[in-house]
Amino acid sequence: MNENKMSVGAFFQKYTMIIALVVVVIFFAILTGGKNLLPGNINNLISQNGYVFVLAAGMLLCILTGGNIDLSVGSVVCFTAAVGCVLMDNNVNMWIAVLAMLAIGLLIGTFQGFWIAKLHVPAFIATLSGMYAFRGFSNVVLGGYQVSVTNETFLNLFGGGAKCYVPDFIRQAMGTTGKPNLTCLAIGIVAVLIFIGLKVRKILIQKKLNIHQSIPAQLATTAIISAVAIWLTLKLASHKGFPTVLIWIGLVLGIYQYITTKTAIGRHLYAVGGNEKATALSGVKTRNVYWFAYASIGLMAGLAGILTAARAKGIDPTYAEGYEMDAIASCFIGGASAYGGVGKVSGMIVGAVLMGVINQGMNIVGVDSNFQKVVKGLVLLLAVVFDVLSKRQKR
Amino acid sequence: MEKNVVKQSTIRKADPVSLLKQNAMLLVLVLVYIFFTIMTQGRMFRPNSFNSLINQNAYVFILGCGMLMCMLTGGNIDLSCGSVVCLLGALGGTMMVMWGWGAGVSILALLAIGIAYGCGLGAIIAYVHVPPWIATLAGYLAFRGLGTSILSVSITNSISVKDNQDFLNIFSGTLFKTPEGELNIPCMVLGIVAAALVVLVIFKNRATRLKKGYEVDELKMDVIKSVLGAAVIVLVMYKLALAGGIPTVLLWVAGVVLVYAFITSKTTIGRHFYVVGGNIEAARLSGVNTKRIMFIAYLNMAFLTSIAAMTTLARYTAANADAGKNFEMDAISACVVGGVSASGGAGSVLGMVIGATLIGVINLGMFQVNLDANYQRVVKGFVLLAAVVFDILSKKKQR
Repeated sequence: MNENKMSVGAFFQKYTMIIALVVVVIFFAILTGGKNLLPGNINNLISQNGYVFVLAAGMLLCILTGGNIDLSVGSVVCFTAAVGCVLMDNNVNMWIAVLAMLAIGLLIGTFQGFWIAKLHVPAFIATLSGMYAFRGFSNVVLGGYQVSVTNETFLNLFGGGAKCYVPDFIRQAMGTTGKPNLTCLAIGIVAVLIFIGLKVRKILIQKKLNIHQSIPAQLATTAIISAVAIWLTLKLASHKGFPTVLIWIGLVLGIYQYITTKTAIGRHLYAVGGNEKATALSGVKTRNVYWFAYASIGLMAGLAGILTAARAKGIDPTYAEGYEMDAIASCFIGGASAYGGVGKVSGMIVGAVLMGVINQGMNIVGVDSNFQKVVKGLVLLLAVVFDVLSKRQKR
Repeated sequence: MEKNVVKQSTIRKADPVSLLKQNAMLLVLVLVYIFFTIMTQGRMFRPNSFNSLINQNAYVFILGCGMLMCMLTGGNIDLSCGSVVCLLGALGGTMMVMWGWGAGVSILALLAIGIAYGCGLGAIIAYVHVPPWIATLAGYLAFRGLGTSILSVSITNSISVKDNQDFLNIFSGTLFKTPEGELNIPCMVLGIVAAALVVLVIFKNRATRLKKGYEVDELKMDVIKSVLGAAVIVLVMYKLALAGGIPTVLLWVAGVVLVYAFITSKTTIGRHFYVVGGNIEAARLSGVNTKRIMFIAYLNMAFLTSIAAMTTLARYTAANADAGKNFEMDAISACVVGGVSASGGAGSVLGMVIGATLIGVINLGMFQVNLDANYQRVVKGFVLLAAVVFDILSKKKQR
């Protein structure tokens, strides 16, 4: 068995963004005297950026089809949240409101996908008009005012309010209180065990099929990721516990990881982005692939609407402006190609975390919010320039 | 056999269906205009409405020309122009108010900054191959932040330039101002001269085509075209003459639009933009320097953005953090509604002008009938979508 040896240069190229993430975390840790690694701030990093992970997962599928984006998500998030909040405000059952928000998101995604897939309307124009229209509709639904959510179950379940953490069942059963939060620890350990199990299974399958992959390298990455996960769990456990929003993020990321790596439609997304004509000639209904991508981001916008409404305990017609930019930036920083066909969920996660760490670090240091925008723009540009240049060298 | 056989020009018969298709947006514009005139009991037809239509939408025409050139190269857009308008406005305010620079120096400095930005942006897009909308998305984020932080020195987040009368006179106000309701003679003269020029150009074109043996329209079509064109110009200028005179910004708009109409239709470089958008690989193989075309498209966009920034600064007499918000969307919409192909290679300055006017008329009309501002956004979104769908469907049938 000859293993793929990796040169130092190739190693850096493959893991640039992870290295950048580590460097940035250390940089801000020094600058803030370790404040950004406090359990409370780690917890905020996750809760504040919940919508980024969810939207970026949807956006990744659109970008995979050929660098297409969805500019309407910010407005759609606001619109679905507005409808949901108004429903709950009128004492509609919370679950009906949640279902309505998801359904509306999916419906909007399907509607926009129809124009893009069936009539070949360029994606950025179809979604640009959605961006105008749904921002207007949100204003109409809200009557221009803020509508708040008081439903405790809704807030707790979707990451808002003071009690949006998984209750500590284990300590309750033991009849004690205090920290660390044992349920949180248990969830973390189970998740890591499942992850290791999946990895080992993958390595065994590779061995059986005689696929040459470096086993030590795979074991090393598995160990590092597990260690980071355990460290995160410890931090969260010593704060208030496992934030409920992390359940939704984990669920979405897990499903999208599965779709992109294990399913036929997932492979079709990459194929369409790589070479649409060849894919069509191979018998794939390429237009349906587009439709799927835009319906999926619509659904994610619905979910992000739920998370945003819960986190802000209500919705205002100006909320969620610029969310599309966050999602797009996360994908590109995470290595998705702006020409389609390349990009992974894991990369997108790194991109989203990197953006989140930079934002939070700047907040703690007290950088002016206007300069934060400048830094955001520069990070995005640097990431793409780097991506383009490193690919050029490979050729 | 003679070598220089001049082909006999064929006369293109006007058939109503294709005529309707070609001028669909124009027809829509007329219908929308009539609709709003009826809805507002004729307020749309008052001299003041013409004046505000031009003043409010000047930036759309100017940025639309730049966006057209970008879109021609293959549906590429510039998302940063709105934020650059904000930044340049802030810089202009700082120069004229904080540092006490004169209008001339400030204008040159702003143009220089705009051009420097354009060179950088063009280089990143053309030579580093960063996809245009990502490069400009970064600018969209960064320059709004930079502009706002420059303005944050003042408590109100804005710098007023209303004391620099020179600057205001160059980019805003009215030339040869007369009281409202009185017929402004210079304005009327300009209108009649412009109308005469339009007729002249149409018939000179016809003569050239006949001489070279190209296909020409029926004579009556050209006559109708020139009569209508001249009539519209004279009518608009008549209304403006009653509203007080020639809006200064109209001269800027007209200058930019004419220059770009000339570049796109009569020059080699203009044709290269269409070729690159039609098939970039074929263009490259035919010896067109495609990278240079991309570079010029974005350099040019930044140049026009500087002009738009100065007209905007003069119109509001102050630099605001909100200046230029959504300008990029308006410019893109104007192009797309005006029939510029979102995948490049097709579109004209005239089409863009019709698109921009249509959007301007809709905006003004909705404002005058007191439509809720939120529904205005919804209508805007649907107009954009409808225009593109219409464009795509009508092209599908042609094939």
